[in-house]
Amino acid sequence: MAAPRVCVPGERLFSTADCEAGPGTYVHHGYIYSCLAGYMHKRKQDGKELPIIEVIRQKEDAVPRKDSIVTAKVTSVSGRMCKCAITCVERTTLREPFRGLIRKEDVRATEKDRVEMYKCFRPGDIVLARVVSFLDKKVQVSLLTGFLDAACQLSLGDANCYLLSTAENELGVVLALSEAGAQMVPVSWCDMQCPKTGSKESRKVAKVQLQQE
Amino acid sequence: MPGDSRRVPGPQDSRSPHWYGKQPPQHQETGTRQDGRADHDLRPVYLHAGVVSQATGSAYIELGQTKVIAAVYGPREIARREEFTMKGRLCCELKFATFSCRRRRQHMQDNQEKDVSLIVLQALEPAVCLVSGGFLLITKQGMCVADLVQIYLSLIRSVLVYGHVLLDRFPKSQVDVYITVLQDDGSALAAAITCAAAGLADAGVMMYDVVTGCSVRQCGDRQLLDPSGSEESSQEGEGVEDHGMVTVGLLPSLNQVSALVLDGHLPQTTAVQLVSLVSALVLDGHLQQQTAVQAVKTCIGGCQGIYPILKDCLVKSTRRKVPAVDPTLIRTSIDGQNGRT
Repeated sequence: MAAPRVCVPGERLFSTADCEAGPGTYVHHGYIYSCLAGYMHKRKQDGKELPIIEVIRQKEDAVPRKDSIVTAKVTSVSGRMCKCAITCVERTTLREPFRGLIRKEDVRATEKDRVEMYKCFRPGDIVLARVVSFLDKKVQVSLLTGFLDAACQLSLGDANCYLLSTAENELGVVLALSEAGAQMVPVSWCDMQCPKTGSKESRKVAKVQLQQE
Repeated sequence: MPGDSRRVPGPQDSRSPHWYGKQPPQHQETGTRQDGRADHDLRPVYLHAGVVSQATGSAYIELGQTKVIAAVYGPREIARREEFTMKGRLCCELKFATFSCRRRRQHMQDNQEKDVSLIVLQALEPAVCLVSGGFLLITKQGMCVADLVQIYLSLIRSVLVYGHVLLDRFPKSQVDVYITVLQDDGSALAAAITCAAAGLADAGVMMYDVVTGCSVRQCGDRQLLDPSGSEESSQEGEGVEDHGMVTVGLLPSLNQVSALVLDGHLPQTTAVQLVSLVSALVLDGHLQQQTAVQAVKTCIGGCQGIYPILKDCLVKSTRRKVPAVDPTLIRTSIDGQNGRT
């Protein structure tokens, strides 16, 4: 197979009469243009007459979105919340970490009021979490002023942080080091054990599931 | 200005030895310029993308002796002090290296650099999908064209309305463009615009089009395309009614002007003509041949001349940077991230 065609942003590819615009393209005055520097692919759609045109650049830059699963490293823990640095979104590693925040009420789904943050996370833990929606002050203001669209969009937390939640069985701490410095093994959903000293430490442990490929 | 305590500063008023040398006479032969070009010729252009390894995307451009490097970082987190936005942001910072000009420049960003940063930013914004772009027209030395600018603004906006579709691609994040002018031998702004656009495309930022920049120096009736440093600073033509600099940023494929900078004594009537030309460019393009109008046309011609080079450079850098892959393999990951097919 010949190497696919490389296009640059603004390159005119096809007429909309012949093809349909896919990811990496836009339509302007009846023509499909590329909006990425990448490889052009034409693919047949099931049940549709027109093939779809897409421009693909392998390294897709990801940013955290609502409901995406992120991997984060805990940087500090306080009584009300836990701050972390988001390092991965889904399967994409970020170039630079984003700030994330797990509030006390988002740690687990049941017995929310009995959560003790220090028994759930420690600095240095690697956590799997989901980006949640959250109405912060700004959104409440915009709700009052009638900007409902803005309120629906503003679901990623406040200006500084992404709000994360671990209130699912599959979410929580996946990697943690004990006080002795060894990597701990989960023993229950709220305990991890150090293989070196045998001491138990409490965490909000994630039940890691292998993804079906 | 307070000195920088962390650096050993050069003498405040040091000058390059070239300053004291004999300037070669201008226009040795009639019809050619100092470097042997015709009035409407570009200098040799060298453009290379992907030169800074730690940046997401980068580019380096040479227009004759003018050398500019641009590095693009992001999408990264918006700094704490910035206000909240669900849209992506584009930031642009331009710096002349201390050794870039005849006169030594300071380490701190001065006013000229801030101005030029803003012009480059606004030239890029209409092209980049993550921001809602406007249009910039800067006039200096007392030209009053504000009303016409307003009319023109509405015109450009109507064309670029579809730009808002992709605004949500990078919520709460920004893309930073850092441009350094390594040597300024004329047309540094035009070079910076082209270079930054190449860097953005190399970073994989979604854009409606690339942007190319080009300058024209108007000396009386002569129009010098892509002026060199000596032509930019020459006194020739001063005192006659028309002399000045015109810089245009062009989206070459869409044939739209994204930035227009006029500097000098172009009479007001000419400027009026010019604005009507630019709007007419989008519509029709039938107008009188006035000086500044002609200058902008020459600029646009120059921009179109740079476009194939930019295109070629991007194709090469894409082939080098991104290995060609089977689309079926990546499609799943893309669909997963965007939540749509």
